[in-house]
Amino acid sequence: MSEAGELPLAVDGLTTAFRVEGRWYDAIRDVSFSVARNETLALVGESGCGKSITALSIMGLVPKANGRITAGRVLLDGRDLVPLDETEMEKIRGNAISMIFQEPMTSLNPVLPIGFQVAEALRYHTALTGEAARARALALLEHVKVPSAARRFDDYPHQFSGGMRQRVMIAIALACSPQIILADEPTTALDVTIQAQVLALLAELKSETGMAMIFITHNLGVVASIADRVAVMYAGDLIEIAPVEELFEHPMHPYTEALLSSIPRVDRDAGDLKPIAGQVPPITAMPSGCRYADRCPLRVPRCATMPPLVGLAVDPNHQVRCWVRAADESVSA
Amino acid sequence: MSVIAVATGRGAWARLGAGIRHHKMASFGAGIVILMVLSALLAPWLAPHDPLEQDVLLRLASPSADFPLGNDSFGRDILARILWGGRVSLYVSTLSVLIAIFVGGALGILAGYIGGLFDRVLMAAMDVLLSFPTLVMGLLVVAMMGPTVGNLILAITLTAVAPFARIARAPTLTVKERDFVEAGRALGFSHLRIMVVHILPNVLDDILVMGALWLATAIRTEASLSFIGLGVRPPTASWGGMIREGFENILDAPWLAIFPSIAILVVMFGLNMLGDGLRDTSDPRLRHE
Amino acid sequence: MLPYIVKRLLVAVPTLLAVLTVVFFFVRIAPGDPAFIILGDQASPQALAAVRHELGLDQPMAVQYVDFMSTVLKGDLGTSLVTHRSVWGEIANVLPYTIELTLSALVIGVVIGLPLGVAAARHRNEALDYAARLFSLAGLSFPAFVSAIMLLLAFAIELHWFPVISEGRPGDPWSRVNALVLPAVNLGLIMVAYVMRVTRSSMLGVLGEDYIRTARSKGVPARVVIWRHALGNAMIPVVTVVGLYLGVLIGNSVLTEIVFNRPGLGKLIVNSLNQRDYTMLEGLMVIYAFFIVIANLLTDLTYGLVDPRVSQR
Repeated sequence: MSEAGELPLAVDGLTTAFRVEGRWYDAIRDVSFSVARNETLALVGESGCGKSITALSIMGLVPKANGRITAGRVLLDGRDLVPLDETEMEKIRGNAISMIFQEPMTSLNPVLPIGFQVAEALRYHTALTGEAARARALALLEHVKVPSAARRFDDYPHQFSGGMRQRVMIAIALACSPQIILADEPTTALDVTIQAQVLALLAELKSETGMAMIFITHNLGVVASIADRVAVMYAGDLIEIAPVEELFEHPMHPYTEALLSSIPRVDRDAGDLKPIAGQVPPITAMPSGCRYADRCPLRVPRCATMPPLVGLAVDPNHQVRCWVRAADESVSA
Repeated sequence: MSVIAVATGRGAWARLGAGIRHHKMASFGAGIVILMVLSALLAPWLAPHDPLEQDVLLRLASPSADFPLGNDSFGRDILARILWGGRVSLYVSTLSVLIAIFVGGALGILAGYIGGLFDRVLMAAMDVLLSFPTLVMGLLVVAMMGPTVGNLILAITLTAVAPFARIARAPTLTVKERDFVEAGRALGFSHLRIMVVHILPNVLDDILVMGALWLATAIRTEASLSFIGLGVRPPTASWGGMIREGFENILDAPWLAIFPSIAILVVMFGLNMLGDGLRDTSDPRLRHE
Repeated sequence: MLPYIVKRLLVAVPTLLAVLTVVFFFVRIAPGDPAFIILGDQASPQALAAVRHELGLDQPMAVQYVDFMSTVLKGDLGTSLVTHRSVWGEIANVLPYTIELTLSALVIGVVIGLPLGVAAARHRNEALDYAARLFSLAGLSFPAFVSAIMLLLAFAIELHWFPVISEGRPGDPWSRVNALVLPAVNLGLIMVAYVMRVTRSSMLGVLGEDYIRTARSKGVPARVVIWRHALGNAMIPVVTVVGLYLGVLIGNSVLTEIVFNRPGLGKLIVNSLNQRDYTMLEGLMVIYAFFIVIANLLTDLTYGLVDPRVSQR
């Protein structure tokens, strides 16, 4: 699809482990994907599937006390971020990559004025100081459509609604014109009408700046409206990645299929809704092979080993991690 | 938290009990406290001598085989006096904390439950009570009312009522709004029943944790008052009084002050470790330390 | 902020009036007759009655109350039953000693306790954290008079580094400072334990908050995240505890003054209690309560500075 040189971000074989009662378990394993300029990649899956951990791993924000990246690379313009120390990462966070979090109500510091919190992002990455930083922060707040931003610049987060706080978060994330923005369920905590406004704002900003966006969500409706490509995660594995129409039209992985048929749609009968039988295994008892195998109708003995993520013969941009389906397609191709 | 677990009284005790067993510091502290309670209860049998028996020949005698911790300025056995002193300390502090828990807890729950003007007036009164430094208030009560054990208990209780009222009131305000209290009211339960059966168990956690820490404070206050000379009257043995006597003879016989000081410190460490451990286990934010 | 200050001031006034009322009744209901104290047991009934009249004790309670409140509110605390000198004068003589002692303890407690608590939280479950927690446990466990005796024994009696009687010579500021060291350290170390402990647990809570992650995601340096973003929020409970602790601090200052044989309100109150000097006790209680009310006021105002949600409510 695109040359490696054009890719602002490529994740390659990323594995992050967490310590549970003294033992280390892989929360995500061998996750690989990339995003291009001006592209939105949606990262979807149920809660707990490792979407947020993937984002935190990219940011270098995995809590050190009980988590660590054990393998893989995070390439920003070809430079691996994983071996960087904290000081070097501080120069990248909020500058080349920034992140918007799920909870606007708790993600802003309650004792600092919002204008200060926006300007702070500028202070450590640009030469702007004092009045110049303030003016730029104000421009950013106006840009994300915070009403009467000049008057409210020195107000505190508790004086803003959830939607407005999320706009402030977006202004913070945009402050240094990042190449990549990670949006972790940025609209989940908001009312539906506010959700739509914030999504529209994000789409608008992305097309203005040409930045790449990784949009984490469990809401497939949101995916359809905002994403260019979709990556599906299940229990810490990235199991399928494809352009958005392709994925909705021709889901390959049995889990993706099940996920798509489990959402209510106006153009289908409620009788077609199929809840997925069984449960995600706990992190302490993950199978070493395909993690969906226990719930999978297509299971074969080979599923006891982990399948690779392979591109389909018909469309190399559509990759799937499934012994059965990858084999079917190669045969049919 | 399920409604059933919330609504039964055993919950708080069981949770805290399990917490102590799984918390090294808390169980160590609990061990010390149990030892202290036992030695206080068994003082009459454990003490090798009569704590009041004077012997001029043994004035300020240093530790010996017969008197392992030495003798005080009246030749009395320091070990016996420490054991008997612990008894007084435990009696005064336990009783005053229990009364404070009962009175303060009841006032706090009532204030939170009834709310309105009653709440405001009561809490304002508690604020006034808190406007006197703990020890100064204790001093005044004992000095004005007379230095009896009863007044000592009254003084320490007075200093502890307001904090317990405050700590009982806060959770009452939140529990009051919960569904099972509404349901209880809809079923026509009396207010007393709702307070005792539904609210009390939710308040108990906080109160018990604070109880352990206040027991330490009560022992310290009792010792401080006795040290100043306004607590337990001589010749009855008390740790604070013994330290005072020791302090007067500190140049000649420092052990007089040192041994009872060690006794207080051991008990204070024990109670604080127990209280800290209880707080850790009841505060989910601090768990897994 | 200004309306908030005014509101807190208005709340403090009724508290102070209530406190004065309690002081009045407390001294009146206590057993014992001040006239006896002044004249002794052998006094004639006429003489006793004369003294009672002079003190206003023969008036109805309501009249006495109004009298008491109006004189106290005018700033007049009366004369001592024992020394017959002005109560305020006696208090003013020793007040500077108590104030310098408690203030230096407060400064020691905050200046050492705050960074120690922050460091312990940052290095949770490391050696530094364990040491800090052990120290705070010790600080909580030591009755002030026990630690005072130990400091006195070690540094004044054995090592002779500091004077045994911590008063200082008049006209010699250096001796006054020298005399202050041990008592201030004694009170200060206990304060360090309280401040460190609440700072640590408050920081631990705050460090897990979403806005800390936001700050880090902006690329704010770790040092700034800790001191600006985390401590800014962690200060709120610290202010509460320091405010509440002031009462304990005053109590501990009484014990410290006794052990170090240091002039101050503590020694004054113990002497007045032993001599049953009622007017002096009334005056002292008024002063103590006044301090606590002022301390609470300052605590509330500090809240307003630390937490924007409070001052704008």
